[in-house]
Amino acid sequence: MRYPLGMQQGMDAARADAFYAHVMGGGKVEADDPMPDDYRAAVLKFVEMHANSELMGVLPEREWILRAPTLRRKLALTSKVQDEVGHAQLLYRVAEDLGKPREQMLADLLAGKTKFHNVFHYPTESWADVGIIAWLVDAAAIVSQQALRDSSYAPYARTMKKICWEESVHIMHGRDVVLTMMNGTDPQRALVQDALNRWWGPLMQMHGPPTDPATDRDLIWKIKAKGNEQLRQEFLSIYVPRIWELGLTVPDPNLRYDEGEGRWHYTEPDWNELRSVVTGHGPKSQARLQFRRDARDATQWVRDAILGPAAGTAVA
Amino acid sequence: MDDAHDRVWEVFRQEAEGDPMVHGGNVRAPDEELALHYAREFYGRRQESHRLWVVPREAILELDDPDLLQPPFDRSYKRPGGYIIKHKLEAAKARASRDGEGS
Amino acid sequence: MTGQGLSPATRDALAELLLTLADDEFVLGFWDSEWTGIAPMLEEDVAMSSISQDEIGHARAWYELLAGLTDDDADRLAFGRAPGEYRHAALMNHARTDWAFTVARRYLYEQADAVRLEALVRSSYTPAAELAAKMRREETYHLMHFDVWLRRLAEAGDDARGRLVAALERLWPDAEAIFAPLAGEEALTAAGILPEPLAELGARWQERVRAGLAAVGLPALPDSGPTPADGRMRRTDDFAWLHGQFTMVARSEVGATW
Repeated sequence: MRYPLGMQQGMDAARADAFYAHVMGGGKVEADDPMPDDYRAAVLKFVEMHANSELMGVLPEREWILRAPTLRRKLALTSKVQDEVGHAQLLYRVAEDLGKPREQMLADLLAGKTKFHNVFHYPTESWADVGIIAWLVDAAAIVSQQALRDSSYAPYARTMKKICWEESVHIMHGRDVVLTMMNGTDPQRALVQDALNRWWGPLMQMHGPPTDPATDRDLIWKIKAKGNEQLRQEFLSIYVPRIWELGLTVPDPNLRYDEGEGRWHYTEPDWNELRSVVTGHGPKSQARLQFRRDARDATQWVRDAILGPAAGTAVA
Repeated sequence: MDDAHDRVWEVFRQEAEGDPMVHGGNVRAPDEELALHYAREFYGRRQESHRLWVVPREAILELDDPDLLQPPFDRSYKRPGGYIIKHKLEAAKARASRDGEGS
Repeated sequence: MTGQGLSPATRDALAELLLTLADDEFVLGFWDSEWTGIAPMLEEDVAMSSISQDEIGHARAWYELLAGLTDDDADRLAFGRAPGEYRHAALMNHARTDWAFTVARRYLYEQADAVRLEALVRSSYTPAAELAAKMRREETYHLMHFDVWLRRLAEAGDDARGRLVAALERLWPDAEAIFAPLAGEEALTAAGILPEPLAELGARWQERVRAGLAAVGLPALPDSGPTPADGRMRRTDDFAWLHGQFTMVARSEVGATW
């Protein structure tokens, strides 16, 4: 791969040392600043997976765009899914400027060579899933995204500011869907509890297993600002009380906050499930990738027609 | 970029009338018309902008050389903070009041 | 003029007119919302989604106006009717299909909607005139956007152009149904609620579409006979499927709030 911006090769040791001293001291990096290849590769990998997740995250909720039950819900859900597409575009733009063409990233995603977040590998089974996803999956995401506003890679940090601003609306939409159903009939309330039961496991896995801050490269280079366990604890602190106050039951008998330790205890998430799901073995992994391959094939002629014959061809 | 028809356009936005134009981000589009439409979508669909400027990325000239922008010698005389007048003002006022008493 | 004091016959005709306006926007907005997430480019995806949201927003405004007139509820009108009770034009009976089909349908529809709204801003029924004026501000962008797409596809290679021409020819007869005669139309024109007969609006729309297609070198569409009177009454399997989708949640727990 050729990088059109910045350094083509690694830099000499002294300049690389100065670069790392700069970022570890809180300094920022712009797209066309010189940067060592390993930093560039790490940022690209991180942003590309984030972009992939936004793009694939469109699909579970998209299935309900045609089924939204009121005019206002129809508008809110379409707008929310539209925002996820918009976020995918913003993040792919950041990644493209690091040197990897968008078409190559899409091709790698569709070929299963790159990953997307675990939560988007699961089915949506009822309208309550739309509420739980927009409320809690987006909440778990925003906890980590807010920390990314301080990323050492400035184009990513700026993009995360815009994305966080938009995501805050999604959480309100999701919470409103959940509250409306919890104020509704018994079957509606049961749908919410059922959705929570199914999504809790993936939610607890979403931030990933705890990592050692001393060896977490993304943390050391300040590509991200907080570790996995810290993010999970923040999510639990804000959202478990809000779940409980609605009379919902969190499906983990071991979940409790320890005042003395200042942290949440919970049943160890199933990390084998996480590894299996993100490598393409989740209940909907292959169906969602196939759906996207089909959609992409069906519109290839449009890109050929208006972008030129070579553009947008998915290079396998 | 992958093809001459598919360019990057930088978008600047003005949040309210009279505000400065601030860089918002960028879009890809094959021509000027769609670049404007897409800029509107990405930087104005929530009614968050009063005005947009859409510029082909190639048209932007960048200067970030610290030798030119952060030259090493003293330029404090070019900034208001370069003039420390507190003590001089106090002294001048004190003298003026002394002179006033004398007249 | 407001809805007060209208004769029952005029009121019924007005209700029918509002229902056609609302259903056109509602059904087209639903079909096109299906592009969200899978449009040809990410940038276009967001643009197309905004346009389909605008249409749902316009449908909501027309349904609310109608609900006020007939003491009904906008969501009940949108989601609570049997398929045969919808009054959208036959143009909206087709599934989303491909991008050329979408561009062709939107181009034909946006031109028609422009003609219709230009007339309605002069309506003696003030609430409709005010809504039409607001909608024109959003619809102008829709027409600009699909005019760009029509030109791009018309100027592109044989594949894109061929798809576009085939879609326009297939949709043309069903698009004419937008101006199909309305029950009680004479009462509406007599009261100035509908400032011009639909047939006249339809003729103006045909002129504009023919000029627009000719300007980009697309073949002329066939001469059409009289607009079929049942253009807003025919329903298809595609629409039955869509109706099943958009009423699915609403039907699952009757009387519930969502």
